[in-house]
Amino acid sequence: MDFNNLVTQLNAGTILPEGIVLITLLGILVGDLIFGRSIARNLSYFAVGGLVCSLVALILQWDNPQPVSFIGAYSSDPLSVVFRAIVVLSAAVTILMSISYVEQTGTALAEFVAILLTATLGGMFLSGSTELVMIFVSLETLSISSYLMTGYMKRDPRSNEAALKYLLIGASSSAVFLYGISLLYGLSGGETTLEAIARGIAGASGSLSLGLVVSLVFTIAGIAFKISAVPFHQWTPDVYEGSPTPVVAFLSVGSKAAGFALAIRLLVTAFPQVIEQWHFVFTALAILSMVLGNVVALAQTSMKRMLGYSSIAQAGFVMIGMVIGTETGYASMVFYLFVYLFMNLGAFACVILFTLRTGTDRISDYSGLYQKDPFLTLSLSICLLSLGGIPPLAGFFGKIYIFWAGWKAGAYGLVLLALVTSVVSIYYYLRVVKMMVVKEPNEMSDVVKNYPATNWNLPGMRSLQVATLAGLIATSLAGILSNPLFTIANDSVSNTPMLQASVQRQVAVK
Amino acid sequence: MLSILLVVPAVGAILAACWPSHTRTIASTIALAVIGWTVFLLTQFDLSNPAMQFAENFTWIDALGLSYRLGVDGLSLPLVALNSLLTWVAIYSSNEQIERPRLYYSLILLLNAAVSGVFLAQDLLLFFIAYELELIPLYLLIAIWGGQKRAYAATKFLIYTALSGALILAAFLGLAWLGGSNSFIYNPALAHALPVSQQLLLLGTLLLGFGIKMPLFPFHTWLPDAHVEASTPISVLLAGVLLKLATYGILRFCVGLFPDAWQIAAPWLSVWAIVSVLYGALMAIAQKDMKKMVAYSSVSHMGYILLAAAASTPLSFSAAMIQMVSHGLISATLFLLVGVVYQKTKTRDINILEGLLNPERGMPVIGSLMVVGVMASAGIPGMVGFVAEFLIFRSSFPIFPVQTLLCMVGTGLTAVYYLLLINKAFFGRLSAPVQNLEAVTWRERYPAMILTIAVVLFGLQPGWITRWSEPTIAATLHQPPAVVASVAK
Repeated sequence: MDFNNLVTQLNAGTILPEGIVLITLLGILVGDLIFGRSIARNLSYFAVGGLVCSLVALILQWDNPQPVSFIGAYSSDPLSVVFRAIVVLSAAVTILMSISYVEQTGTALAEFVAILLTATLGGMFLSGSTELVMIFVSLETLSISSYLMTGYMKRDPRSNEAALKYLLIGASSSAVFLYGISLLYGLSGGETTLEAIARGIAGASGSLSLGLVVSLVFTIAGIAFKISAVPFHQWTPDVYEGSPTPVVAFLSVGSKAAGFALAIRLLVTAFPQVIEQWHFVFTALAILSMVLGNVVALAQTSMKRMLGYSSIAQAGFVMIGMVIGTETGYASMVFYLFVYLFMNLGAFACVILFTLRTGTDRISDYSGLYQKDPFLTLSLSICLLSLGGIPPLAGFFGKIYIFWAGWKAGAYGLVLLALVTSVVSIYYYLRVVKMMVVKEPNEMSDVVKNYPATNWNLPGMRSLQVATLAGLIATSLAGILSNPLFTIANDSVSNTPMLQASVQRQVAVK
Repeated sequence: MLSILLVVPAVGAILAACWPSHTRTIASTIALAVIGWTVFLLTQFDLSNPAMQFAENFTWIDALGLSYRLGVDGLSLPLVALNSLLTWVAIYSSNEQIERPRLYYSLILLLNAAVSGVFLAQDLLLFFIAYELELIPLYLLIAIWGGQKRAYAATKFLIYTALSGALILAAFLGLAWLGGSNSFIYNPALAHALPVSQQLLLLGTLLLGFGIKMPLFPFHTWLPDAHVEASTPISVLLAGVLLKLATYGILRFCVGLFPDAWQIAAPWLSVWAIVSVLYGALMAIAQKDMKKMVAYSSVSHMGYILLAAAASTPLSFSAAMIQMVSHGLISATLFLLVGVVYQKTKTRDINILEGLLNPERGMPVIGSLMVVGVMASAGIPGMVGFVAEFLIFRSSFPIFPVQTLLCMVGTGLTAVYYLLLINKAFFGRLSAPVQNLEAVTWRERYPAMILTIAVVLFGLQPGWITRWSEPTIAATLHQPPAVVASVAK
């Protein structure tokens, strides 16, 4: 293999977006070492700038004629571009949210941003990797940075508890996942790239082998942990409640999106023989997530815990798109994740804003907020109603697209269940809106009575304002003006060879 | 042309929310502008054309098959006009010192836009979007400015309506998928090709959804609570316009999309109508609270519309249209009057109130209007209620004789409970607990007077309502229904 050939095979240009994030990360580490805390805030703006550059690089990679790189270990097809963009966007918004939050807790900001960027890097690589070792390394990069961020408030015992729980459960699920993919390695006769594995397995055994099913189950267990699908969700509420809120925002959007990217790629590419089995398992996961997430969220008193259960339920909706496995199904997943990014991050920005001003997170403490802070009330209401799927907000269009795709594919039961559970979800989202808007001045909670006057000129508040506004505007307009988003979602699926192959196989079977 | 009916109130809502003062003036101006535009549309409406008029058509989201299609025909135009009128009445009759005026008026305007959207939408998904859009403003309007148990009533309203929305969406999704369509455009031909069993299934889901909203027994329990707890202007809108969303939906979608299945279901629906009519009337007799009584009378009177829809002859459809407008005007009048009585006497209990018609210390004008309103509701000739009920019975009798006779008992019962109300609260001597009433101002009388004049006017000239809808109805039901044919044999 001569040098030129090798360069073409490596095709290193595909990881330019990751490269930019990596350089930003190094710049922050070095800058923090040299200048110390004095420029920490500027460094975080630098990080946001780096992420935006990376986003631009991603946009330029759209419709890349040569997506396969690193001798088949990495792919920059439109699907991976879309998921990487979701991860990058969520990281950028999370940094904007975290500046004043981290500063107020008295921990080092630059290090936090550095860890977050590492997690972003892991998530981005995970969205595009097509090889087992690559998948595992990027998964661990994402996971380990997440454990670190979860425990970042080291003086807060709840944060420590959350980190330990997350670490223990995460480590065991990684082990299970690793065992699953090691079976794949063996079954395929020593292949590591996903396509070769599929070919190897198909060649090795004509009929269905037990080993493949066992490997499938273990792999799904690992993935389900990442996307916190019931019954692998037990860590979610505790970790969400204890962790710093910006971390929760990233975990619920960026990390989850990366998990879904992994799920699609790994399951669709490596397990075509057992497609019915994994569809069945994911149907069960989706049903359990929607029912349990929505029902348990009804009883929550802590806002973050409520959002935690709500994110479990939302993941259930997204899984419908995966289970039906049609072209519109995958497109609806991508679309929903985009919309979910805006509304969930918007909601978390509002929660952070409220926590910064009052120091509490109980839902009942929000009562009467309308009188004191109409802007925050409006933003949080819009984001929550959108999560509940009220038209004409973005969330409604996301849900209706999934339902429409599911219905067309004949998954009536799932869609009807999703309809019923989203009616349930309106109730708990609206409960918060009711607390804020409906309560009389005399029913105002004590913390709201002492609510400080809004001052956006405090350090770090501007960026939080930007994050909130971005969430608010995107959530209210992304539904009405959603045609570009629909185009992106549909193109990302129709231009991805791996998904096309799978869709065609399904059509052929039918 | 039609988008203005949606855009103006929506922009007005934002304006009312953001402008620091004169909110009430802004809201009234917007409402008047909407009325003005409705009148303009009425003058431009081509009576001889049964099809959709002023149609607007843009593709909105291709991937979903959602298009922005508006249009108005004889079925929707009278209801659009009713919505514009009652929104202004609600704004005018709102308390001038209401708390949080900016939120209040902007929610009312938003509600107006959403309801207009429901009546104008020619795309099933667009209809659903507008139908759901009305949910949150109305929930907040009940929950913030309501009475003692408003939180309970508003939540109950929310759950029922959200469920009804989910059922309607399920039916629409089902229709689009089973019909093999890639869009949600309103297309009667779509359902024709389906086997009757599938049509019945979809129709059942749709009926359940609209039945909750309408409301029909046994899904009506949210209505008395919501009405009693909502403030007067909101009750006016709720009874006057929002219940019509469901009856309009039944005429437009249930009958319009599934005519074959509808013929099969019609006898059962007429029985359902009787149950609703009689149950509502009997419950109304048992009420002590005037507002609750009017609320149960709504349950009873909406049942007539189902009877007329089940008969599905051109005449019965015209009758249903008149009944919708008539119920909108009459129940709005009654709620306004009950609101005035409550405001002055601080009670709505007909066992406490007495002699309010007293010409000197009572409220003679309000009392007289109440008597007229009650007579109209009970179907006394000369008022629009009579025309509506008479036409319904006249047109349904050849098809469902027994059911129609039983429903007629309902009208008799209407007279019973309203006579009880009038007799106890307005006749007799002014009782001790309600002495020294504040004088009723002209402002409080105007809205009810305007509506009463309309009630009498349309009672004398019912053709002014039917002329809008007759061509459309004739075109919708151009084939004589099978049931009629079998009876004729």
